[in-house]
Amino acid sequence: MIDLENISFDHCLKCTVCTAYCPVARVTPLYPGPKASGPDTERLRIKNPELVDETLFYCTNCKRCEIVCPSDVKIADIIQAARHRYASGSIRPRDFFMSRTDLAGSLATKAARLVNALTGTPPVKWGMDAVFGISSSMDMPRYASGAFRTKFRKRADEQARFEKSLVYFTGCYVNYFDHELGNAVVKSVNALGWGVALSDEKCCGVPLIANGYIGKAKKNAIHNVEALKKAAGPGRPIVVSSSSCAYALVNEYPNILSVDNGKVAPRIRFISRFICEELAAGAAPALSPLALKVAYHAPCHLSRVGGAVHTVELLRRIPGLSLTLLPSECCGLSGTYGYKKEYAKIARDVGERLFDQIAEAAPDIVVTDCETCKWQIEAHSPYKVVHPVTLFARALGEG
Amino acid sequence: MNYDVIVIGGGIAGLTAGIRCAGAGLSTALVSGGMSALHFSSGCVDVLGAQADGRLIRSPFEALPDFLAKRPSHPYARVGAESLTAALAFFKEEVEKAGLTYCDNGAQNHFHVTALGRTKATYLSPEGVFSDLVKKTFETRKRLSILNFAGFRDFHPALAAVNLRKNSLFAGWRIRTGVLTLPPAAPAGKNPRELRSIDIARIFDTESRIEDVAAQLKARAAEADIVALPAFLGVSARRGAEKRLAELSGKLVYEVPTLPPSILGMRLDDALKSRFAAEGGVFIAGDRVTGGRMEGGRLLSVNTRHGGGAELSARFFVLATGSFFSGGLSSRVDEVSEPVLGLAVDRTLPRSTWYAPRFLDPASHPFLSFGVSTNETLNPADASGREVKNLFCAGAVLSGYNPVREGSGSGVAIATGYFAAGRIMALSRQPLS
Repeated sequence: MIDLENISFDHCLKCTVCTAYCPVARVTPLYPGPKASGPDTERLRIKNPELVDETLFYCTNCKRCEIVCPSDVKIADIIQAARHRYASGSIRPRDFFMSRTDLAGSLATKAARLVNALTGTPPVKWGMDAVFGISSSMDMPRYASGAFRTKFRKRADEQARFEKSLVYFTGCYVNYFDHELGNAVVKSVNALGWGVALSDEKCCGVPLIANGYIGKAKKNAIHNVEALKKAAGPGRPIVVSSSSCAYALVNEYPNILSVDNGKVAPRIRFISRFICEELAAGAAPALSPLALKVAYHAPCHLSRVGGAVHTVELLRRIPGLSLTLLPSECCGLSGTYGYKKEYAKIARDVGERLFDQIAEAAPDIVVTDCETCKWQIEAHSPYKVVHPVTLFARALGEG
Repeated sequence: MNYDVIVIGGGIAGLTAGIRCAGAGLSTALVSGGMSALHFSSGCVDVLGAQADGRLIRSPFEALPDFLAKRPSHPYARVGAESLTAALAFFKEEVEKAGLTYCDNGAQNHFHVTALGRTKATYLSPEGVFSDLVKKTFETRKRLSILNFAGFRDFHPALAAVNLRKNSLFAGWRIRTGVLTLPPAAPAGKNPRELRSIDIARIFDTESRIEDVAAQLKARAAEADIVALPAFLGVSARRGAEKRLAELSGKLVYEVPTLPPSILGMRLDDALKSRFAAEGGVFIAGDRVTGGRMEGGRLLSVNTRHGGGAELSARFFVLATGSFFSGGLSSRVDEVSEPVLGLAVDRTLPRSTWYAPRFLDPASHPFLSFGVSTNETLNPADASGREVKNLFCAGAVLSGYNPVREGSGSGVAIATGYFAAGRIMALSRQPLS
């Protein structure tokens, strides 16, 4: 059956611009490229679903093909949908655990020290590589002790004192890995006069989609839309600090998972955009200078919706900051993709240009909005990477 | 978000305007929905190549006064010859800063050779296509080899050779054809990729294969002085590979643009974008402007598809959204419109007047002259006919010229983009009225 919701493949002129800018096609001849995998073969798949082939799985879903397409074809969405419509989900234990971020996170944060110590040792890395196919060239992300959302419950009273409040979708990264970022978001939002409430969220579904667990992703999506509706009521804004979570909540829920998010999507703001809009509307928190040379890397999923512009503006607002904008390149990791042994080299090769550009800029620190870009850059370069809001909160000073 | 200037459209017109505004210290954002028509272009800059009756123009600036006398609403008539000259000089300087050298032939047009072996008049070309050296070599050496890379289906040396042999410019030339080989990209039977221009160009993004190609050139085009190849020397603007290849092979290597994506066009796109970024311009890709808010003859702000209702506001705007192909103009069965802001357009009705009877009619098609109508300073009018004072139109969205028939597309884009930026720079020094 032809999905009349997305016949954008019919607008494809076969110009090959998508393949010309595809980071995966650039580094491996084994991937046919987005034009061939997307609009070209979609026609064949409609006729005969057996014409699906495994090269679809080279796609990292970075969406750069959609950014560059002159004809507005939803190329990456077509590829993702084809993977799920025609190919069965992965049954590998590795893919199961890497995509169950809530399950892995809630277990690991209970014994974070032990887990971090173990996953950092060479024998364990070697074992995970040999047994599970998790590349030993990547460092496993280090878990935080306890969950951010659990700890945040104690701050409900303090947050209730604000006259207006918003809902913060923390994502798994803040909840299980980076409490400092969560605190920075709360501090920044508080400084603009807003209290913070959380919702009963689950993993946004990005790793589930990437690993083919479309049913589970859809369940999470439906749950999250309901949870956000409940927490945000009729009018409160919703902010997100992970660019890929934000992209999923707003765009992939309807486009890939067919989940209606119409009641909440218009109120979802990526955090840097929310802050910029508040500043533009007159909020003027005192910012002290940060004498730092930073290089900003715009993540693919933020760039896909033109959102990097707000982070650039946010960073420009911080006095003393010397800012280099890195040319737009994919870091290569694409969530769980670069952790997989079979794709790790491709992921690293994709990121090579970015790593070179960072070295050329020679910053004190790299800034990006995406946690997996951070992990990739930190694995393959000597630089430390922070979220823009972490810097903004630092500029807000004590208190 | 608030800027001094918002440019809508990231093609050659929008980027020219954006680079000039940002370079003048104005905070400038550019919204670009998808890659531009540069990816479908020769990479050369045509200023004025032909009269309406098809006669070739040798000196565009000499021909211009008469040409414009009959066309008072032509974009060149709006900006004037002086602005056009200044704009071309500005363009050359800017791309040079990004590592691309563009050359002209004094005040004369020169020709470039297409993939079909046709010669086309143009005014500015990348130095691999036209330079003093290229000119001298063409005038004194008449031995050409047209080569292809084995397996590349978008270029056919024999076809190009047949057409060139019929061309009086190549009378007395000896033209041969041949093939170069590249090592297979993937193990046999495992290559799912069609070999396209970009795949070849990527091989030469590093200099690792230059020696091999130079050796093949010497062997397979032993007697030729000039070797024409489908454009292949990488995308980012680098002169190293070109120079080294010339030194090693002893031949003049001439790159021919082929089917999209055009490597020569991509290089220019890359160079212009890097200049815009270097001047502090904010490039917003991945989003599209969907509409705007007008009040009292001014455009106050625009909305974007992913903006969720939020507005991008600015004191000045440039609309450089291109023609029908790029979405700057749109047509229905019985009407032509400007879909982003609903501006007034010049067009004829009924539909039967839009086309010439033959597809490849030498006089081209009337619809190619349709576009937004503007005043002397490139300000359009809104749907009610009211002039929009802080909005300037540039490039193919404009009416009053036929880029295909005249050979004037990129010249008009650069001139009007430059002119729009100049108006904005002048007005920005005045307080808001």
